[in-house]
Amino acid sequence: MEPNSSPKPIDWNQVNAIIEEHRTRKWSLIPMLQAVQEAIGYIPPEAIEPIADALNMAPAEVQGVVTFYAGFSLKPKGKCVLKVCRGTACHVKGSRSILRHVKNELQLEEGETSPDYQFSLETVACLGACFLAPTMMVNRDYYGKLNPAKVTSVLGQYRKNREDD
Amino acid sequence: MESIVLTINGQKVTCPAGVSLLTAADQHGIKIPTLCYHPDLKPHGACRMCLVEDEATGRLMASCVTPAAAMSVLTHTPRILNHRRNIVRLMMAEHPESCIVCNKGNRCELRKIAASLGVGENGLYPMPNPIPYEQLNPFIIRDLSKCILCGKCIRADHDLVVTGAIDYNHRGFKSRPATLYEKPLEDSICTFCGTCVSICPTGALSAKNTRYAGTPERETDSICGFCGAGCSLTIGVSGRTVVDVNPSRRKVSVNGATLCMRGHFAGDFLNTPDRLTRPLVRNPGPSAPETHAPVEWDEAISLVATRLSEVRRAHGSKSLAFIGSSKCSNEENYLFQKIGREIIGTPHVMSGGWEFGQRLLARIDEETLGAGRVSPLSDLENAEVIVVVQADPENSVPVAGYHVKRAVQKGSRLIVVDAVRTDLARRAALWIAPGLSGASGILNALAGQLVAGKHFHQGFVDQLCAGFDQFKDSYACLGPNQADGLNGMSSASVNAAADLIYGKKTAFVMPANLLDFPDGSQTLNAILNLCFLTGGMGPKNSGLHVLVPENNLAGALDMGAAPDMLPGRIKIHDAGKKGMDWEALVAAMETGQIKAAYIMGENLLRSLPQRERVAAALQKLEFLVVQDIVRNRTSEMAHVILPGASVYEKHGSFTNMEGRIQTFAPAVPPPGQARPDWEILGLIVRAMGYPEQYQSIEKIRQEIRHTVPMYQGLGNHYQEWVRNAEAGNPFVCGGARFSFLPASDLAQMPVDPAYPILAHICPVRYHLGGGTRTSRSERICAYGKQGEIELAPETIRSLGGDGAGSVRVISRFGSIERAYKENRNLSEGHVLIPMAVNRNDAINLAGLTKSDDLNATGWTISRVRIERI
Repeated sequence: MEPNSSPKPIDWNQVNAIIEEHRTRKWSLIPMLQAVQEAIGYIPPEAIEPIADALNMAPAEVQGVVTFYAGFSLKPKGKCVLKVCRGTACHVKGSRSILRHVKNELQLEEGETSPDYQFSLETVACLGACFLAPTMMVNRDYYGKLNPAKVTSVLGQYRKNREDD
Repeated sequence: MESIVLTINGQKVTCPAGVSLLTAADQHGIKIPTLCYHPDLKPHGACRMCLVEDEATGRLMASCVTPAAAMSVLTHTPRILNHRRNIVRLMMAEHPESCIVCNKGNRCELRKIAASLGVGENGLYPMPNPIPYEQLNPFIIRDLSKCILCGKCIRADHDLVVTGAIDYNHRGFKSRPATLYEKPLEDSICTFCGTCVSICPTGALSAKNTRYAGTPERETDSICGFCGAGCSLTIGVSGRTVVDVNPSRRKVSVNGATLCMRGHFAGDFLNTPDRLTRPLVRNPGPSAPETHAPVEWDEAISLVATRLSEVRRAHGSKSLAFIGSSKCSNEENYLFQKIGREIIGTPHVMSGGWEFGQRLLARIDEETLGAGRVSPLSDLENAEVIVVVQADPENSVPVAGYHVKRAVQKGSRLIVVDAVRTDLARRAALWIAPGLSGASGILNALAGQLVAGKHFHQGFVDQLCAGFDQFKDSYACLGPNQADGLNGMSSASVNAAADLIYGKKTAFVMPANLLDFPDGSQTLNAILNLCFLTGGMGPKNSGLHVLVPENNLAGALDMGAAPDMLPGRIKIHDAGKKGMDWEALVAAMETGQIKAAYIMGENLLRSLPQRERVAAALQKLEFLVVQDIVRNRTSEMAHVILPGASVYEKHGSFTNMEGRIQTFAPAVPPPGQARPDWEILGLIVRAMGYPEQYQSIEKIRQEIRHTVPMYQGLGNHYQEWVRNAEAGNPFVCGGARFSFLPASDLAQMPVDPAYPILAHICPVRYHLGGGTRTSRSERICAYGKQGEIELAPETIRSLGGDGAGSVRVISRFGSIERAYKENRNLSEGHVLIPMAVNRNDAINLAGLTKSDDLNATGWTISRVRIERI
């Protein structure tokens, strides 16, 4: 696996198209940020000023909104974002060791992204799927009733495939 | 108004509907502690210090955000006090233990509240928030470990100053006010107005004070001595030194809780070693090591009186000139022109502000028949449309800029006509860059559009104006859309502006140097015509706001420190009694027609164009008196130098750009033997043997009240307004009418092929005027802004340059060399040259005169060509 030290280049045409689409009123800030994050994977810090300009807001205000919500990120994320649940039910069912196992497998700490931008590791307070505890999410898919072997096999599915590049 | 009866602490009180419980309590003298509340800001409810208890339900509510209703509340029960104590304990647990060395000292609101609640030791596990201390910029120290997240700085930044440099970043324990990308303030859009510093309840934000640490010993209210806004200040004094400046807490003021960089930080000039502290007389021989030697006051005054009388006897009274100052008080300018006109008997009275706005104010006063002298800035927030013509208040009069931006935030529509896309233009509903026919072309096309569509205020025009038919005919050629494509004008933008203005209360903002533009006079005519057409003028507000660059420019004019105006704006029509304009004055000094001059508070060799010529002219004088506060190039040429006092060291009154007369009292004594300027003038009056004696400021005020009807209220109260004229005022006298002014056609302004670019010698927000005072502030000079010339990208390309380099700017009068930078907001054919920096060399590009020919420009606008070096 070749480490790739830079994230996917930002498609500024796409960002500008999103900004143009939302250039209306102040209340479209969050939908706009969501759309940018969806398209690019994160909010590029350089996009804050054009977004603020389009909505007639102060750039510092837009930054405040982005940093307030955990759902928005100013840093590029990996292709697969892992969210390991650390809620009460999962904790009781051993999510601490699941997290430790994930960390070992990916060689990542919480909040970190792998150098090849394949994985990002996050923890969340509850995924709302306590009946599947312990659980985690990879992008939009849930994986429940985890054990170390299952984690390894799930992560295997998402490992970078050379033929993809 | 509907009122509400409620019970607070068992006391029945009445308050207007809609106010908060906190306000209702405050109105009845019940003090509830607050940290995040400020009367000028929208209530926020963040600190919970103002908790009160509903007697019926026991519910605890933050009183600043709870509307008063028919209820019974308690404000100081043991339960509430316990909650307040706990909140303060939690804040203290996060607060660093640095109170002993904190500059906020006894002014810290957190400390005051903690003390009043008896919270000494918080008894909690300390959790200080170790955030690095930021103090690289020369003005503001940010120690965010002391921040209590009250949000006052952020709200002041967003709602009062409307800059938007900071906002909360992150959340929870990590949350702190931050700039974009958490850069240091100097790399952000922060303007260093210092409003946040004054409003911060703790030591998180403090002014970087080079001279003193701690709480000032005493505080005195005063008026800012820089621009024409006339902000109300509180001067903090320790010993005999001004150590701190903040906006005053007076209920009514032009600035409220805001200030700008100059007002807040540029007071350093007071303590400069260049201050004049003793009367000085020029040494006779050139061999003396010092040019001037100190003398006693008596000797200096009698020397001035004798020499002035001698010159008058030998060469006649018309051989003396008196140059007053738009930085000196009303009383001083009144007495000064009286010495000139009455005691000496010369018509040659001038003021340093004549070319910097007084000429414009005089023209407006004439055309509005004395009915437009009052124009409160607070009324901008009631204007539905604000038209800003070629003005950048952010740099000239920042507090007026805050008013415009606040109005826009509250829903006023803004139209900006300017070759520069200023910060205001970015907030505007419509920005129109004037084409080749100048701003007058756009405004005339706009008037034509309003007339053609009958979209003007019929009532105002019918009742108060004359000459409409003739005016209408002059637009006959200007049918709808006639302006399209002409000289780069687009009918789309003119139509859009007409649509915005139609039926709306409209205010106009213009710069003091409007007449300096090649088409300045036509632009003024067009603005006045639009003002009449829109009916924006009222008896209590002219709707015409001139961004006056100096504190008492209007007052000096009112007091007759002008060549063709007597006190009370009485125009002199008799040519024999009129004084000379600047060019004639300098020429008369050159030819020896003027033999002696008395200059009060003006550094002509920094603020006037063609300064080598002016210096040579002053050199020829037989006798020159300079009365000033700092040593400067002009004072070096004087035979006698009289040390005056700055605004914070004397009594007086200033009249600001709105027509607000504000009196002030000294905060500190003048340095050394320096004396208040009015006192010096009083001594001269006595020495000249005049029967009237002026030994107190009140005596001068009495005379002004008596002789100048528009200043009837002077000194009655710390704040008064000038009076509009009564005779001839259409709002007062039936039959009096405003006249429409002739409109110019939309012809292209002539261009000089040798000097094809229009240079705007523009003010910058960190200096004032020529910078005689502000350049003596080390921190303003250390701020690192070198006043780079700003060029449009097209201009840089045509010079074959790139992002950085130096250029030589050449006009008919002189040339300067400076570094340049790109300004993408500038239209082609224009260049911005900041004033005041580098000994104000930019003024060398201008000539002393502006003839009436359309092509000519005034002192702050010059036709130039640019070469790369």
